[in-house]
Amino acid sequence: MPKSAGVVLAGGRSSRMGSPKAALEWHGSTLLWRTVSILSRATGGPVVVVRAAGQELPPLPPGTAVVDDPREARGPVQGIAAGLAALADQADVAFVSSTDLPFLHPAFVRRVLRAVESDGADVGLPVARGFRQPLAAGYRTALSPAAERLVAEGRLKPAFLFEQCEVAMLDEDALRSDPVLAALDPDLESVVNVNERADYESARARPSPEVMVQRLGVLADGHRGPRAVRAATVAEAAQAAEVTLGRHVVAALNGDQITRDGQAPLAAGDTVLFLSADAGG
Amino acid sequence: MTAGGYFGQALVADASTGSADILPLPDSVLRAYLGGAGLGAWLMHTLAPPRADPLGPEAPLAFVFSPLVGTPLTTSAKFAVVAKSPLTGMLTDALASSQFAIAGKYAGYDAIAVRGACSELSVLLVDGTGVRLMPAPELAGLTAAETDRRLRDRLGRGWRIAAIGPAGERGVRYATISHDGRHAGRGGLGAVLGAKRLKAVAVHAATRVAPAHPDAVLAAARDLRARSFGPATAKYRELGTLANLLTFNAIATLPTRNFQAATFDEAPQLAAEELADMRRVARSGCASCTIGCEHIYAARGGKKMRVEYENVFALGPMCGVGDPDAVLAASARCDELGIDTISAGGTIAWAMECADRGLIDAPWLRFGDADAMLRALDEIGAREGIGKLLADGSRRAAEQVGGGSAAFAPHVKGLEMPGYEPRSLHAMALGLAVNARGADHNRSGAYEADLSGDLDRLDGGAAHVAAAIETEDRAAVMDSMILCKFLRGVFDDPLTEWAGLLSAVTGWDCSAAELQRTARRIVLAKRVFNIREGWQPADDWLPERLLSEPLPLASGRVAALTPERLRAMIDGYYAARGLDLQGRPGEAEYADLQLADGQAAPGQARERPPLCS
Repeated sequence: MPKSAGVVLAGGRSSRMGSPKAALEWHGSTLLWRTVSILSRATGGPVVVVRAAGQELPPLPPGTAVVDDPREARGPVQGIAAGLAALADQADVAFVSSTDLPFLHPAFVRRVLRAVESDGADVGLPVARGFRQPLAAGYRTALSPAAERLVAEGRLKPAFLFEQCEVAMLDEDALRSDPVLAALDPDLESVVNVNERADYESARARPSPEVMVQRLGVLADGHRGPRAVRAATVAEAAQAAEVTLGRHVVAALNGDQITRDGQAPLAAGDTVLFLSADAGG
Repeated sequence: MTAGGYFGQALVADASTGSADILPLPDSVLRAYLGGAGLGAWLMHTLAPPRADPLGPEAPLAFVFSPLVGTPLTTSAKFAVVAKSPLTGMLTDALASSQFAIAGKYAGYDAIAVRGACSELSVLLVDGTGVRLMPAPELAGLTAAETDRRLRDRLGRGWRIAAIGPAGERGVRYATISHDGRHAGRGGLGAVLGAKRLKAVAVHAATRVAPAHPDAVLAAARDLRARSFGPATAKYRELGTLANLLTFNAIATLPTRNFQAATFDEAPQLAAEELADMRRVARSGCASCTIGCEHIYAARGGKKMRVEYENVFALGPMCGVGDPDAVLAASARCDELGIDTISAGGTIAWAMECADRGLIDAPWLRFGDADAMLRALDEIGAREGIGKLLADGSRRAAEQVGGGSAAFAPHVKGLEMPGYEPRSLHAMALGLAVNARGADHNRSGAYEADLSGDLDRLDGGAAHVAAAIETEDRAAVMDSMILCKFLRGVFDDPLTEWAGLLSAVTGWDCSAAELQRTARRIVLAKRVFNIREGWQPADDWLPERLLSEPLPLASGRVAALTPERLRAMIDGYYAARGLDLQGRPGEAEYADLQLADGQAAPGQARERPPLCS
């Protein structure tokens, strides 16, 4: 089975925001869409969204699974338990994220997961920007029974789970020891979250990340070589590169994933190649 | 009455005697197999004795036309050359283009087949007076292009020539047949003609055949012509297939140094985007084609050649050579010798790796050494030196060399692999493994699905199986009706639109559903022929290197194809095709092939392949 997967906790009350954070607009889609897409890209595995029972969610990327948090207002440990349980047969480890991390970078996800996948810990717990980050952390999916027991006992803080397993604490030096993460997210903005409206508006107003775009093949006509642009999505990158995604034009993200999805989010350091869809032949 | 666009007959010539028979082609067979590769498969079932030596006199080779040849439909001037391959021992069909298709068909036949062998090097002539053999010892050793020129000078106006080069005469197992610089390239068809001591086949139009509904065909031709200038064909018109090279390099899909890597540092030097400015001198196209995909480049020194992605990949990154002039020179040399660039490059690359590992005594043959590559090509063409080993292809060479070299011999069923990295294109991996011809990027177009964005190219599964089948079916129809695959992107609903074209030409009431069945029949007929000729389930597989050496990608993901994943995809393919777990058809599938015992064929008994119980 795939080694890693993603869990997005979307069931919070968003009381300080005043509206569901999952549905907040983000460069043509939503914060939830962005978070799911980033986890999908970073893990290469399935992504599960945990919502409150009956909660209406905004549109999701195709293939995203949704599970209901069976008991309301039991806090993040309940959501972690539900998400890990849903993935237990599909992956060994999962990155668990809240839905309100608009700058979450795939390099951050991969660095955290490595602590669990390769270094043998049960939890990879970042400690960044002055706080432990249990909702931007890696967990073994086998922890779901332990998490469920804690919920049944009314012990709802993630710290109780950490007492029962081996936790790799990843401070900022440990995180930045990954040269890719150090280069692409040096300030560890992956853990910046938005709680109030002003936070969101400030985040939304920031410049889009810097990415490299290049047109290849017949699309390269007069536009050879890579160049830097600012784009938060593949569609924004296409616009900057003056191409139109569609039947005859696709994008290749970081030389890997081929997509026509304009809403696919980008992160700092990404490269977007625009290709003729008639490649081959 | 024979359907429009057909003569309802094939010519079966005997190169031993210069005589010929007429093989009637019933409407039921023409409708079931259309023409081109499809009809060619049926003809091989009908004419080829089971388990015959492909280089023996009893082995037939057929030039097969189609109902669209001679119509104003763009890209319709194509023909298939079909035989049992001396490289793979299985069915091979190769398409080529232009005036030979029109002249050959208008000699009065839907196909021209030849059996037997001449007593001396000769040319087979077919025109309105029939068939004759013309001794031509003076053509020995000439390139196909020079042969073409001399014969047309000698025979006069209207004759069109399909010829072999010196490699075909010497039985290089991947020798080509060429017409006007275009090659029926894969599978060694040139060696088959060479074994018959036929330097060339010359055809001259003598009659015509009309489509059933000429006005409808004309209207369709106008429409198709207009669409052929649209964005779906832009790549072919503006840069040609060489545009693939930098793209494939950017997405880790460019086989490099015998599939040891999927990116090549020197790829930018060979990129169409740069090379076209420096070296492209002209653009041309086949007869009846509005796309004009042929990009003519000049190497330093002035030699000109058509450049395609496959010959640059095979003689460039595959051999570790990044010098564009060397790659162009090697491509020209392959044309002169009359050998398949993909098989030549793949076999040489394998030999380079063997030399690296000390498995063969050729210290001069190293990856990246262009002079060595050119020397190897010359020795292959002459069957001298290392050519004695390499002229039979990488599979036979690996059997001879041993030492584990079979694990990295880049072939499927003996046919060397084209420039598509299976580990990073999982739908294509399946297409390459199961295709009847061997590792083939034309009979399987599954890379389209991998590059579409609709599925994850590194996570082969059910969607990839479905995509591989869909593209294989579409290729079977296009290769049989025949339309050039560079036109495929202009069709919104291909089977429906192709059914309309066929109906207009033939007068049949074709439907998409019928063409879907036709596609499956053609694909199965090829498989059944191979089973008859000794195919085993283990032949539907990929080289061990591709299943045991993952490729890390810059994104952090790994391009890997495990035996388990490939097995699962092949099993899914078999199930969807109605085959058993051994890849063999049942009674119902076999019955649909119209390979009835006692069929009207000149004196051939056929052996029914084993059926699943």
